[in-house]
Amino acid sequence: MNKGPLAGLRVADFTWIGAGSYTTKILADFGAEVIKVETLTHLDPLRNTAPFLDGKPGVNRSGYFADRNSSKRSMVLDLKMEQAQEVARALIAKSDIVANNFSPGTMEKLGLGYDRVSADHQDLVYLSMSMQGATGPHSRYVGFGLTIAALSGIQYLSGPIDRPPVGTGTNYPDHVPNPCHAAFAVLSAIYHRRKTGQGQFIDFSQVEPTTALMGTALLDYSVNGRIAERVGNDHPHAAPRGAYSCEGGRSIAIAIYTDQQWRELDSVLSLTKQLSARNWEQASVRLANRPELDAAMAKVTTAWKALDLQEALQAKGIAAGAALNIAELVQEEPQLAHRGHWIKLDHPEMGSTIYNAPPIRLSRTNFTMNRAAPLLGQHTDEVCRELLGMTDAQIETLRTQGVFN
Amino acid sequence: MTTKQANSYSGSPLQGLRVLELSTRMGYYCGKLLADMGAEVILIEPPTVGAPLRRDPPFIQDKEDAEFSIPYFYLNTNKRSITLDLKQVEGKNLFLELVKSADVLLEDASPGWLAEQGLGYEVLKELNPALVLTSMTPFGQTGPYAHYAADDLTLLAQGGWLNIMGYEDTQPTQAACEQAYAIGCMFGAVGTMLAVLEAQQSGQGQQVDVSIQECVVMALENSAQSYELENKVRARSGNSQRYAGSGIFPCADGYVYIFAGGMAASRFWKNLVDWFQGVGVEGADELASSKWQDLKYMHSEEGKQTFERIFCNFASDKSMAFLYEGAQTRRIPLCPVSDSKAIMANQQLAARGFFTSAMHQASGLAITMPGAPFQLSQTPWSLRNSAPTLGQDNRDIFSALGVTHEAQQALAAKGVI
Repeated sequence: MNKGPLAGLRVADFTWIGAGSYTTKILADFGAEVIKVETLTHLDPLRNTAPFLDGKPGVNRSGYFADRNSSKRSMVLDLKMEQAQEVARALIAKSDIVANNFSPGTMEKLGLGYDRVSADHQDLVYLSMSMQGATGPHSRYVGFGLTIAALSGIQYLSGPIDRPPVGTGTNYPDHVPNPCHAAFAVLSAIYHRRKTGQGQFIDFSQVEPTTALMGTALLDYSVNGRIAERVGNDHPHAAPRGAYSCEGGRSIAIAIYTDQQWRELDSVLSLTKQLSARNWEQASVRLANRPELDAAMAKVTTAWKALDLQEALQAKGIAAGAALNIAELVQEEPQLAHRGHWIKLDHPEMGSTIYNAPPIRLSRTNFTMNRAAPLLGQHTDEVCRELLGMTDAQIETLRTQGVFN
Repeated sequence: MTTKQANSYSGSPLQGLRVLELSTRMGYYCGKLLADMGAEVILIEPPTVGAPLRRDPPFIQDKEDAEFSIPYFYLNTNKRSITLDLKQVEGKNLFLELVKSADVLLEDASPGWLAEQGLGYEVLKELNPALVLTSMTPFGQTGPYAHYAADDLTLLAQGGWLNIMGYEDTQPTQAACEQAYAIGCMFGAVGTMLAVLEAQQSGQGQQVDVSIQECVVMALENSAQSYELENKVRARSGNSQRYAGSGIFPCADGYVYIFAGGMAASRFWKNLVDWFQGVGVEGADELASSKWQDLKYMHSEEGKQTFERIFCNFASDKSMAFLYEGAQTRRIPLCPVSDSKAIMANQQLAARGFFTSAMHQASGLAITMPGAPFQLSQTPWSLRNSAPTLGQDNRDIFSALGVTHEAQQALAAKGVI
C-alpha cells in the first residue's frame, strides 16, 4: 500500500496561521507524520477565522484552518510551562524535522531553540520561518502576507498601468512562494542528511522567496538602471493579450503570439472590421498598437459566453481561458475534476468538507491525505502514550498540572 | 570552470544529484532551484538558436542577443548548457546515454511530445529505473484540457486566480512576472524532491505530473472553503480597505501598505493611535474612541473614510522610509510598496546577504541579483557559476560519454550538437 514518499519522517510542527501550516500540509499530505503542537491560551488564529461550517464560529469549525492542516495530528501543550516544554523536547527528540514560523527568539524563550534541541540530535532539520529572517536590522519587524507582497515588489508591479498598485487579490506569499520554498529547503536538507548524517538550521525569511520571483525586474534595475513599472496584462511577445469582457460581466483571457494565431482569431471574431487600416497580420504592428486591439476585442467579445469563446478559440489552437470563479472551479471545471483536485475528508465535527489536494501527482507514491484536520488537541493522549511512551497515570498527572492547555 | 564544478566539493545539499532539463517556456525556475542547491543541472538547448528564453526581454545593456537576455541570465544560474537536436537519431541516442547517468529529467513539452520522439517515460524507465521524470505542463498529462493552448495569463484565468485579481470596476489584471509558470516551477521542485527522496530509498523513480492550472488554484486562499461552507463566491476587491486601518495608501514618494485594523490586526490599532497621538497627528483623538473596537464600524464606509482622511493627511508629506521605520519601531505592520530600486536598496535584504553578484562574460559586467531565497546553516546557497553560454559544456559532457573530438565536430556539422 502506498504510504506516500515521505513515510517514515516525523515532523514536530509548531507552525500556525498561513505560510507555516501550508508548508507542513505539503509534508503531511505526502506521508510524513506531522504532529501539530497547539496551545489553548495562544490558539492558532485560523481556528477562529471564517469560513465556518454553517457560518457558526468554533475552534473546530473553520474551513480556513482545516484546509491548511489536513493529514496532521494535533496535541495541546501549554508551552509557557516547564513540564510542557519537556514534553515538546521529548517529541522533538523523536522527530526528524522541527518547523515553526514564530518571530525570532520565541522558540528560544520556550526552551525549544535550535542550539538546545539539536545538541544531542545532530541530524535534526530545523525550519524557522520568521517574517524577515533571524538576522538583520528588521528581523523584529511585524508583518503578514500583504506586507510581504509590498516589500517583495509583487504589489508594486501588479495592476493596470495607469492606476495605483493593486496587487494580486490574495495573500499570495503565504500560500505558494513561502510554503513551496520552505518545503523544498527541508527536503533538500533531508537529502543531504541521508548522505552525510548531518542536520541543519534553516533560517527562512518570508520576504525573500517572493522577492526572488521578481528577479527579472530587479536585474533590469541593477543592470540597466530601469525601474520596472506595472504593465497591466501586456506581454512583450503577445498582442492582443488581456482579459476581455464576456456575457454577464464575465471575463476571458486571450493571448496571441503568432501571425497564424492572429488570422485564426480574426476568423472567429472578425476583428479587422473594428480596426483602422493597417497590416495587422504583422506582429510588429500588433505589438505597437495594443490599445486599439484591446478596444476592438472588447467590442466583439461581449457577445460571447466566456466558455463558448474559450472553446471556439481553443479549437483553433489559441490560448484562451475563461476567468473562472470559485463556484465554477469547484462544481463544473472538467480538468480539475479529472485530476481529482477537490478532496472531501471526513472531520469529527465538520463532517465531510472540501480540501485542496496537492497540485502534483506522483505516479507511484502519490499523496495520501489520510485524515481531515485534527480537532484541537485530538491526539494529545495518543501521542503521549504511543510515541512518547507515557503511562495513563503519567498522562493524568500532567493533565492535572495543566500541561495540556 | 565547468570541470571544477563537476569535481570539487561544493558544500551544497544536492551535490551529486544529476538533472537533465528540457525547459522550453515554463520550467526554468524549477531547474534553477535545484541547481542553486548544488544539483548538476544540464540544460539541453536546441542547436544554434538556443532555448526560447534567450529571446526574452529585457536584455543586458538592451542588447538583443541570445547571450544578453535577463530572464535567461537570472533563471539559469549554476546550470550547464549543452546543445542537442532531439529530432535527429544521433541526438536522440546521445540524450538516451545521458539519461542513463541522470537522477532527474525536467521537461515542459506538450503531453505526448517526448513519446512521439521515442523518448517517453516507459522508454526512459527501461534504461534507468531510478529516473524521476518531472513534467510541468499547463494542465497535466491527461484530461479534457491536456492539449489546450495556454500562456501564463490564460492559466491564471483557468486556475481561478485572475478573476479575483485587480480592480472591481475594470477587467482583471495579472500577477507580475509570470506567476503561473513560477507556481508550476515551485511545486515542480517540491515534487521532484519528493520523488528523489523516495528513489533514494526504493531505488525506483516515477513520473511527477505537474498541472500549472491546478498549482494556480493553491493561490486562491480560502475561496473553496468559503464557497462550500458559507456559500460565498469571492470576487475582486481591488486594493481597497477591507476594514478601516488596512490597505494601500499614498504618501510623499509612493505608497505604503498598512494592516492595523480588523480581524487579526485589531491588536495593532492601539499602537497606531498611540503613535498618532504622540506626534500630534490631526484627528488622532478621533481614532482613540471605543467605536474603533467594533468590527462593524471598522467595516463601515464611515469608518474607512475617516481613517483614510486622517492617515493620508498625516502621510502626504512623509516618505515611505519614514513611515516604515516610524510604524515598525512601534510594532505596527506597515511596509513600503517597494519598486525594484527600493528593493535593491533594502537594508534588511542587504544585511542578510540576499543579493549576489554574477559575472556576465559577454559584457564583462558583474550583475547584482537575488541569491539565496533561504539560508541553510551547513550547506549555504552559493553561486558556482553564472548562466551558461549556449553549448558551453558540450565538449566536457560529450567527451565524458566517450564521443571523440572528431566525432563531435562531425555532429556539429550535421547540426546535431
